[in-house]
Amino acid sequence: MKLFEYQAKEVFADAGIPVPKSVLITGAGETAAAVGFVGLPCMLKCQVLSGGRGKAGLVKLAKTQAEAEVLAANYFAGVPSLHAVLVEEAVAIERELYLALTMDAPSGRAVLMGCAEGGVEIEQVAAKTPEKIVRETIDLDRGLQPFQISDFVYRLGLRDDALKQVGKLCGALYRAFRSMDAELIEINPLFLTKSGTAVAGDGKLSIDDNSMFRHAAYEKGRPYYASDMEFEAAKEGIPYIEFDGDISLMCAGAGLANTVYDLVNYEGGKVANYLEFGGPNYMKAGTAMRLCLANKPKVILIVTFGTIARADVMAEGITKAVQELKPDCPIVACLRGTGEERVDEIFAPIGLKRLSDTEEAVRKAVAIASGRERA
Amino acid sequence: MSILIDQNTRVLVQGITGKEGSFWTQHMADMGTNIVAGVTPGKEGQLCCGAPVYHSVRNAVKAHKADAAMVFVPPKFVLDAVMESLDSGIRLIVTLADGIPLHEQAKIRAAALASHAVVIGGNTSGLIAPGKAMMGSIPYWIERVYKPGRIGIMTRSGSLTNEVTAMVVAAGFGVSTLIGVGGDPVPGARFAEFLPAFEADDETDAVVIIGELGGTMEEEVAEAIASGRFTKPLVSFLSGRTAPPGTRMGHAGAIITGGKGSVEDKTRLLESVGARVARRPREVGSLLKAALGERN
Repeated sequence: MKLFEYQAKEVFADAGIPVPKSVLITGAGETAAAVGFVGLPCMLKCQVLSGGRGKAGLVKLAKTQAEAEVLAANYFAGVPSLHAVLVEEAVAIERELYLALTMDAPSGRAVLMGCAEGGVEIEQVAAKTPEKIVRETIDLDRGLQPFQISDFVYRLGLRDDALKQVGKLCGALYRAFRSMDAELIEINPLFLTKSGTAVAGDGKLSIDDNSMFRHAAYEKGRPYYASDMEFEAAKEGIPYIEFDGDISLMCAGAGLANTVYDLVNYEGGKVANYLEFGGPNYMKAGTAMRLCLANKPKVILIVTFGTIARADVMAEGITKAVQELKPDCPIVACLRGTGEERVDEIFAPIGLKRLSDTEEAVRKAVAIASGRERA
Repeated sequence: MSILIDQNTRVLVQGITGKEGSFWTQHMADMGTNIVAGVTPGKEGQLCCGAPVYHSVRNAVKAHKADAAMVFVPPKFVLDAVMESLDSGIRLIVTLADGIPLHEQAKIRAAALASHAVVIGGNTSGLIAPGKAMMGSIPYWIERVYKPGRIGIMTRSGSLTNEVTAMVVAAGFGVSTLIGVGGDPVPGARFAEFLPAFEADDETDAVVIIGELGGTMEEEVAEAIASGRFTKPLVSFLSGRTAPPGTRMGHAGAIITGGKGSVEDKTRLLESVGARVARRPREVGSLLKAALGERN
C-alpha cells in the first residue's frame, strides 16, 4: 500500500526525522488558516500517488496568501478526485540529497541507498552514472550498525555537521522501514538547509501488502485508486487495472494473465482491462464479469489453466454470470485444467464453445474487436 | 536421476493435519513420494495419510531422519516453520503459502543462504520430479503437462507453468524436474542456483525457464551461462513484454522500476550468451527442438 506524502511524513516525524512545518487541507476554504500557520512563502502539494508531481504542475510555490488561495482553488476544482493538499513551509535549501531503503532480493538483506545529487532526476542519475548511487546492505536480524552508517554517509561525500545529521537520519529511516514493514521508503529530495539541518522535502512509503494485518490503522479507501471500478475490484480482492482498449481480460493467474496481455498486443488488439479471477477468486466469475462490462468492451476474453481453480467451477460461474448479466458483447473462453472435460456441457445453455488453445483464443478475440469476425 | 528429490527423499510435512496439508500430502504419497512423518503442534501420536504425527520437527527428525520438509502453514507462520526445520538440520524446504510478509521473506532468504540450505517458495506450487516424487500442490495427473522426460523446468508462475510446459510436452519432450521458485519479490531460492545441479544431471538435456518482468533472476541465469557454470541448451519464456512500466500487474515481484527488469533487457542479455527466448509460449517447443537438434 502506497501512502500519501503527508502520511509518509507523519511516519517520519514519529521516527524523529525532521519534516517541514505543514497543514493538510481538504478544501480551498482552509487555505488562509493553513498559510497563517506555516508562513510565507509556502508550497502547495497535491496529495496524489502518481509520480512526477512537480512536472505535472501539482506542486507549486506561493509567495503570497492570495497566490496560495488561487492555487488551492484551482487544484480542488481541476485535479480529478483530489482529496487533499499539503500546505508546507518553503525551506531555504543549501543542497539536495537522495535517500532510500528497500529490500535486496538476492541477499535477503535491506539496502540503504543514497546519492549526493537528489531531486527529480534520480532515475536518470541511476541509469547514466550508477556509481554515484551509494549502497549499504543490512542484515535484518542484526540491524543497521553505527559503523555502517558512518561509512555510508562518508561515501556520500558528507563531512562535519551534515555527516552527523544525515547519519542520525539514516538510523531513524531504517527503524521506520522495519516498523512499517515497508517495501520502499524514500526521501527525495532530502534538504540540507542553509541553517545546517537535514529535512525531508518529500516522502514516499509503501507498506508491503502481505503485512497490512500489522498496520490495520491504514484503511485503503477510494483516494488510493485511479477509478471507482479499481476501488470496487480491490474490495473484492480481485487484481484489476483499467486501460483504454476494447478487449476485457478475465484470466486466472498472474503469469498467464500477463502473457495473454502480451499476446493481445502482439496481435494488434488493445486491452480494456487486466483482471485475475484465479486463485482464491475462482468462484467470483460474476463479479469479474461485471467489472469487465463496466468498461463497455467489444469482447471478453477468458483464459485459464487451473488446478485448484477448477475449470468446471469457473465454467459454472461464467454460465451463471452470462444468464444474470446478459452481456451485450461476445465472450471467447479458453478454459483448461481440472474438470475441463465438463466445460462444454456446462456452457451449453449459454451457447458458448470452449477453446483449448490460448493463441487461437487471443486471435479470435482480436478479430472480433476489430470487426473482422463475428462471434 | 532428477535433481533435489526422488522416490528416496525422506519428506516430513509441517502442518500435515490441516485441510490443505492433508489433501496434498495424500496426493504426494499417491504419486510415490516417501512421506516419513508429519508435524502439527499438540497432535503427537496421531496418524495422518499413513504418516506418524509429531509435536515438533525435532521429535519427528529424531525418530525418522527426514531430509526434506514440506511446509503447509499459513503465511504468517512460515518464517517460524522454516527456522524450525533449519534448526533440525533439514536443508531442503518447500513452502507454498502466498502472503508471507516481505520482511519475513527476506529473513527466510538470508537464513537459507547462511545455512547453505535450499528453501523453495513461497507463493509457489512447489517441486516435482514426474513419476518419482512431488513436494507441493502440483497437478501431476494432468498428463499433457507433467509427463516424465529430460527437460528441467524452472518457473516463477503457477498458471503459466501449465501453459508453457504443455507446449514442451506437445513438442515431444517431458520433464525431469520442475521447480517453482514462486512469485514473491524475495523468493527463498533463485533460478541460477539450480543450474549447476541441472548441468550435472545426466537425465536432463536442456532447461526451460519461465520468467517474467521485474527482479534480476533471469539476469543471474545469463551470468551463469556466461561464466560457464551452465553449458546445456537453455530456452526461456518471459511474460510481461508489453506491460506498461511502473504498473504492478500480477506478482508483486513483477514490476519494472527505474528502467530495470524489463523483458526486453532480460531477452537481450539471455540471447547475448546463447540462450533462446520464446516470444510466445508455443515457440518454446520449437526452440527446444532447434537447440537439442543443434547439439546432437
